[in-house]
Amino acid sequence: MSAVRRRLFAKSYIDTWFLLIMTLVLLGVFRGVQPSWLNGQTVQNLVIQNTPLALVAVAMTFSIISRHIDLSPGSMIALSGAVVGLVYTAQGSLALAIAAGVGTALGVGLLNGFLVAVVGLNAVMVTLAAYIWARGLSIGANNGDPIDVGGGLATVVNASWHGFTLTAPVVVAAYVGGWLLLARTKMGRYTYAMGGDPTAARRAGIDTSLYTILLFLLMGAMIGISAVITVGQLGSAQSTAGLGLELDAIIAVVIGGTRLAGGEGSIGRTALGVVFLSILNSGLLNLGLTDDYFQLYRGLVLLSVLSVQIVVRRMTDEEERRKREQEQLAAALAAT
Amino acid sequence: MSADASRLGGVRTLQRAVVADRARWLAETLGIVAIAGALLLAFSLTSSQFLLAENVRNIFVQISVVGVAAIGETLVMLAGGLDLSVGSVVLLSEVISADLTATHHLAWPVALLAALGAAGGIGLLNGVLVAVVGIEPILATLGTLLVAAGLGQRILGLRYLQVTNPVFNDLAVKNVIFNLPIMVAVMLALYAVVAFAVRTTPFGRMIYAVGGNRRAARLSGLSLVGVTIAVFVIAGILSGVAGFLNVAQTGLVSQNDGMGMEFQAIIAALVGGLSVTAGGVGRVERTLLGALIVGMMTNYQTIKGIDPSFQQAFLGGLLVAAILADRLLRGRQ
Repeated sequence: MSAVRRRLFAKSYIDTWFLLIMTLVLLGVFRGVQPSWLNGQTVQNLVIQNTPLALVAVAMTFSIISRHIDLSPGSMIALSGAVVGLVYTAQGSLALAIAAGVGTALGVGLLNGFLVAVVGLNAVMVTLAAYIWARGLSIGANNGDPIDVGGGLATVVNASWHGFTLTAPVVVAAYVGGWLLLARTKMGRYTYAMGGDPTAARRAGIDTSLYTILLFLLMGAMIGISAVITVGQLGSAQSTAGLGLELDAIIAVVIGGTRLAGGEGSIGRTALGVVFLSILNSGLLNLGLTDDYFQLYRGLVLLSVLSVQIVVRRMTDEEERRKREQEQLAAALAAT
Repeated sequence: MSADASRLGGVRTLQRAVVADRARWLAETLGIVAIAGALLLAFSLTSSQFLLAENVRNIFVQISVVGVAAIGETLVMLAGGLDLSVGSVVLLSEVISADLTATHHLAWPVALLAALGAAGGIGLLNGVLVAVVGIEPILATLGTLLVAAGLGQRILGLRYLQVTNPVFNDLAVKNVIFNLPIMVAVMLALYAVVAFAVRTTPFGRMIYAVGGNRRAARLSGLSLVGVTIAVFVIAGILSGVAGFLNVAQTGLVSQNDGMGMEFQAIIAALVGGLSVTAGGVGRVERTLLGALIVGMMTNYQTIKGIDPSFQQAFLGGLLVAAILADRLLRGRQ
């Protein structure tokens, strides 16, 4: 019993406990301000509203652990959606349109992966460029107007069972699959290795180029699925789809306790981060705030949580850090 | 003897490194100047309007706002950080300067000071969150992006603000050097001052030191906290200046002003050849060339009637080209 307790309250879980408490506080505050928000449909609505965030966050966990942050998902969801809309308008086949949309997402993932892994460009900059050009193309696809895709896709995506739509099993599958991939496979172990020390990973014989490209393809797959779901939910492809989603996904991963420095993290933490951010987004939206207060509150909550998280973390490993730094300093002095 | 030999070898290696460094610097600077020159030549050959005095003036006026914001972004990136709050700070500064002059009828210097104070305040918050609290720059400045945009839109309300103070019109219209208005002169002067200061003052060296090797900088006694906070405050103030100039350029303030300007500033810095991996490499004056290249491309495409959304797509392509060129010149790091 005490061993279990010691494990549960171990330092590595401090972030998790902290975020769990913060999530409960957030729930309590929203419940207090607007009691009707918390009802039988809350969970269903959270899932429906935040599916793209949840899916992209799975792939973003891999990106951050491997130190290749991807800034393209938001714009790419809009572009893939536009491709779905354009192909559907031209060919009238939904299957073909979906294939083209997912294919676009995978293709750009492959391109970004190639530029990073083979050419050796910085991932942030490559995907920042994609963030810009993909949004430009998605606006240009139809002069910024929505592209109608008819009701067929909407019927499938919005078909509900006890308030849960088809997106719920997709999200669950993504998290189970993502957890298995990260924690139980060779690719998962290599992801940690590449993020922890890229040079060491290469010297250890890992084909870092191949696995980096695979990671970008994983992101492409999540983007493709998210794009199809977004188009289905709205009944049309919109050029503003996924605006700011990449940064939301990064926040979800980091607030879950994964360090941006790479080399560590887990899907479970990301799930918790996504739950927290979903509640924050949906709760604030539900208050009917104007855009100014929405942004202000969101910014203040995120900065506070990130700050307190770091303070809590620092309090727990202050002693360790001090010892380590003294050793480093001594070693550096001895070397001169 | 062997110690002497190795020391001599060390000196030689150092000399070789210095020479190589100079050569690389020359190649990079000439490279970016050559690219700008080639674009200039191509554009002026294919468009009769491009080199008209009026159009050249347009290009400079169009880049002056982003150009000033990009100085601050360059400093932050040189110090190894990233500032995503630029656009929101521009909006906040615009709203404050327009509100104080148009609604409250205060003198423009008061409005400018208040705007710069608020902008510097957001910069200070950025610096404290990054250097003292220890939040990653990209996340801290994303938080302040939301806060500053929320504050700006709150003050603005659901309305447009039209400015009446003649100073704004003067900034955009009155010519001072050649055919160029005051706001362009302000941008050029700021580049001259900051580029000179970064190269000659100890503080400038500290920025490079902190961006180049954080640990070495700390071990040699530099105040990481102090330098980081100072850089973010300066960046905030420069974004504030950019906001004041943007009011002058458009004559009114609306809710979406400044949106995405952080990315335009980052692009100007990157196209100008800032090191894309870690900071500590790059020059402030080259960012001006980067802004000019982006400005020329945008202007040329507008003359040719290309849709703004596709211009944005080309801009993304330009960014890929810039980092590819950077990679080729600098080699894999």
